[in-house]
Amino acid sequence: MSMVDQLAPIGARSIGARVLRSEDPRILTGRGHYVDDVVLPGMLHAAFLRSYVPHGRLRSVDVEEARQLDGVVAVYTGEDMVRLTQPAVAGSAIGINMMPGLRSPSFYALATDKVRYVGDPIALVIAEDRYIAEDALELIVEDIAPLAPIVTYEDALDPSKPRVWDEFDDNVALTGEMAVGDLDGAFAKADRVVRATVFVHRHQPVPMECRGLVASWDADNEHLTIHSSTQSPHMLRLLLPPQIGVPMEKIRVLAADVGGGFGLKNGVSRDEVAVAAASIDLGRPVKWIEDRLEHLATGGQAREEMADLEAAVTSDGVLLGVRMEVKLNAGAYPGDPFPGAMFVGSIGGGFQGPTRIEGLSATNRAVFSNKATYVSYRGPWATADFMRERLLDIVARELDIDPLEVRRRNYIERGQPPLAMLTGQPFESATTKEQVEQAAKIVDWEGFRQRQAELRAEGRYVGIGMASYLEAAPGPKIPGAVDQAASILGNEVTHVSVDQDGTIVVVTRQQPHGQGHETTLAQVASDVLGVRFEDVRVVFGDTNVTPFALVGTGGSRAATMANGAVLHGSRLLREKILSLASELLEANPADLEISQGVVSVRGTPEAKLSLRDLARTVAEEPGRLPEGIDTELTVTYTFDGGSSGWSGGTHCCLLEVDVETGLVHIDRYVVVEDCGVPVNPAIVEGQVRGGVTQGIGAVLFEHSAYGEDGQFLAATFMDYLMPTTTVVPNFEIHHVETVKTDPDVNFRGVGEGGMIVAPACITNALEDALAPLGVKVREQHLPPARLLELIGTVRPR
Amino acid sequence: MKTPRFEYHAPRTVEEVLGLLAEHGDEAKVLAGGQSLVPLLAMRLARPAHLVDINDVEGLAGIAERNGVVTFGALTREREAEGSALVSQHVPVMAEALPHIGHISIRNRGTVGGSIAHADALAELPAVARITGAEMVVRSSTDERVVSAEDFFQGHFTTALGDEELLTEVRVPKGPAGAGWAFEEVARRRGDFALVGVAAMVTLDGTGKVGEARLCIIGVSDRPFRPSAAEAVLVGKEPSGEAFVAAAEEAVRDQQPASDIHGSGDYRRHLARVTVRRSLELAASRAGRAS
Repeated sequence: MSMVDQLAPIGARSIGARVLRSEDPRILTGRGHYVDDVVLPGMLHAAFLRSYVPHGRLRSVDVEEARQLDGVVAVYTGEDMVRLTQPAVAGSAIGINMMPGLRSPSFYALATDKVRYVGDPIALVIAEDRYIAEDALELIVEDIAPLAPIVTYEDALDPSKPRVWDEFDDNVALTGEMAVGDLDGAFAKADRVVRATVFVHRHQPVPMECRGLVASWDADNEHLTIHSSTQSPHMLRLLLPPQIGVPMEKIRVLAADVGGGFGLKNGVSRDEVAVAAASIDLGRPVKWIEDRLEHLATGGQAREEMADLEAAVTSDGVLLGVRMEVKLNAGAYPGDPFPGAMFVGSIGGGFQGPTRIEGLSATNRAVFSNKATYVSYRGPWATADFMRERLLDIVARELDIDPLEVRRRNYIERGQPPLAMLTGQPFESATTKEQVEQAAKIVDWEGFRQRQAELRAEGRYVGIGMASYLEAAPGPKIPGAVDQAASILGNEVTHVSVDQDGTIVVVTRQQPHGQGHETTLAQVASDVLGVRFEDVRVVFGDTNVTPFALVGTGGSRAATMANGAVLHGSRLLREKILSLASELLEANPADLEISQGVVSVRGTPEAKLSLRDLARTVAEEPGRLPEGIDTELTVTYTFDGGSSGWSGGTHCCLLEVDVETGLVHIDRYVVVEDCGVPVNPAIVEGQVRGGVTQGIGAVLFEHSAYGEDGQFLAATFMDYLMPTTTVVPNFEIHHVETVKTDPDVNFRGVGEGGMIVAPACITNALEDALAPLGVKVREQHLPPARLLELIGTVRPR
Repeated sequence: MKTPRFEYHAPRTVEEVLGLLAEHGDEAKVLAGGQSLVPLLAMRLARPAHLVDINDVEGLAGIAERNGVVTFGALTREREAEGSALVSQHVPVMAEALPHIGHISIRNRGTVGGSIAHADALAELPAVARITGAEMVVRSSTDERVVSAEDFFQGHFTTALGDEELLTEVRVPKGPAGAGWAFEEVARRRGDFALVGVAAMVTLDGTGKVGEARLCIIGVSDRPFRPSAAEAVLVGKEPSGEAFVAAAEEAVRDQQPASDIHGSGDYRRHLARVTVRRSLELAASRAGRAS
């Protein structure tokens, strides 16, 4: 059966159907509208001069010759930014900079006193076109006195090395700790202690569309319009004002199609501040479209974390407690509003997952270094899942118990204690055990072990790996506690209304960038309201009409939050429609139904009123309606997420390693997942495929590598390798029966699940394959050369 | 990633091309399929003052056979060669190497002559040219000469082509009767530049022993490398694993490949050893015994 055959047109109910995405005809035929498609009268083009020196004192920048070049309109340096803007303090707009233990330096959009990584913007050229702007970059002469580069975590803590930020007395960006449960008790009753140090390398979100914006200053009205490739249009309005001196109400942000983000576009970068400042200074629209070199070097990178793990285990392989020391290399400039250093806390915080551990402690430290900004990347806590699922396999190998059996012994059983995590979040609705058994059956785990033994006898190295996760998207609430998710990211506000032509308009604060919200939100609204799917229009990406949201789309929240808000809002709108229609049709509202956009009286089909006629009557003949009746055919609904519940899944990977070349072939990849009630299974599966593909990339291909000298080594797609169709297997995706927790909204997020668990699943399989060679895997990035080093064929570098 | 300024020329005849090259010398660069040159321009790693686009030049493309030689007009697209019956029949090692070049859309534009004239040390076609003993026809406004593959490739991105010369034709001789050919490559992903690639040829004599062996390795040196000692080691030997392992050892003995982000020189050397052995096994399995 081909993919297209599986996709069905809408039946009686749209929720749960594999509805073809309404975005696709536009996007797949090249009619999408991305930020580079924005062309404004008088628009100028920006290009940044970026540092090739990883760390140094910026002594001077001579831009005179560049200014003289024909077609150049302006050249800005750090000095100009001091004149035109205020420095940023990352996170200050939402108070994150006040987080205990966090250091937030202040800095300008262009380098002033120092350069702090390869790619640090030094100057900004504004020209009639981008070609001229790049010509001008070559005429700028900068004088930089190099300083020793801070590359690794160890470099950062070496007192003989310089500081990245002079204003602090060392390179520590954040220290913190957490402790939950009875850790001492866990170690006291443990049969043994298992220790491991596990590394995750730096890699990064690589959306098809790089960053970019067009800033357009209207001097007459002192109004700034920004067209942006962003996940969060309102965030620009919140974060820019203190830096550019334009109040929030004078900034409108527009975002049309966005070609991916993965968390990277949930922030405001220095490049954006500089371009906005230039537009205001010049009174003309300025476009900056990040190219791939810039993107890989400066767009934002993620992970680069490690942990020293100390696990209290029983001789049966049950994990009782874990003590961890977590380290994170945050790069030079903290992201705004989410400084990378803060994610160090998510590793202990997210470690427990579906296990029954009794105690957990983490000491956390993040450091500054001469690397690109650490940004959130699809499951910013992903290293937590990697550590846990790797540790389970490490324990399994130490005790010589099959990793599947270790998982059976460690994962929670629904209805059995513990009923909640150590943090208090209830486990209710977590179906991990069911997923594990289903996955083991699908891959025939025991049968594979036999086949593996036979193949090993032939000198072939096949392996199997498993890993499970829980994804809080937004996750169940802790009874009696303040809702943490809502406190930062907010409740979901959505407008649902009947337009004058009888169609339905959903105005969402989500900013879709691949998730298909135009389709899924319309599915929900059409179902609840009884209108045709194609008669629902989803409006997004214009801060003049969308409700405020710090984060537009991120954190896998849309499934619960946006669909839930649309569902409840549509219900209220339906009540309003029926109340008005009952007056016009002289029937009891309870006897009315809506189908295909027409209200009719049950049993009397000739008594009917289309939504179009209803909207017209309300607008043009209000006299036909009784005094005082609510004629506003619009609802604004604020949704708190309802009861919510866990998303989760169990992945299984079967692969073979060519031990002569180090090349890896993935034979099978099985996903058993639970995201509640899927609104559109095809979109759910697309999310899973995309996420796992990025996990494959992380393990086998992608590395934001820096040399010992601080040079960035992966600035092109010849060096930063993305997983392509030839290395990605056909995924086998299965669903378990979900446990509903809410009377109405049981759609749960699925955006991050694939990415957060796949790296552990694949590395577990690699270690399994190479077990006869005595290979121990303690890192996430395992390209062929590294595998041969671990096998011992090739000298370690 | 925007190109620096250049003057664009679109000549229609070889004579016009040669005239432009004579006029502009090292200020000019020939644009064929553009699959290497355009990215170099975009990253401003190449900055010719004049770009001579030969895509509209008459008579520079096409595959033909004459006197035991398969000829390729320099502008022949790689994708055309890949589907050519002449190539699969007479130059099977080329047919096997071509699909390793990038992806279909790249081979639709990339040209046989372009790849050879560009002489990337990791490119496949220079290795094919070396192992088959191909000859390059090179013209200038005043001269025409024929250069052997051995003399043509002089280093990474460096060939015997003068600034005023144009590669117009590549002549690839058919191999010995009954020869078994193979092209094996290890790359991070299908279509990537090779970590290591090996072209191999084996002929068997009447007793089933190796008559002639040829090897050409990419990824260990600054140009396609013919390990003549390893080739010699095989002559007269049983085409067995043992002989191939010995030849592979000999082939990499003096090679010190460079390290890069994808692996150390040590790793490349190891891969070369493995790939030489594998390509010899494959070539021998395809060789027919001389009658």
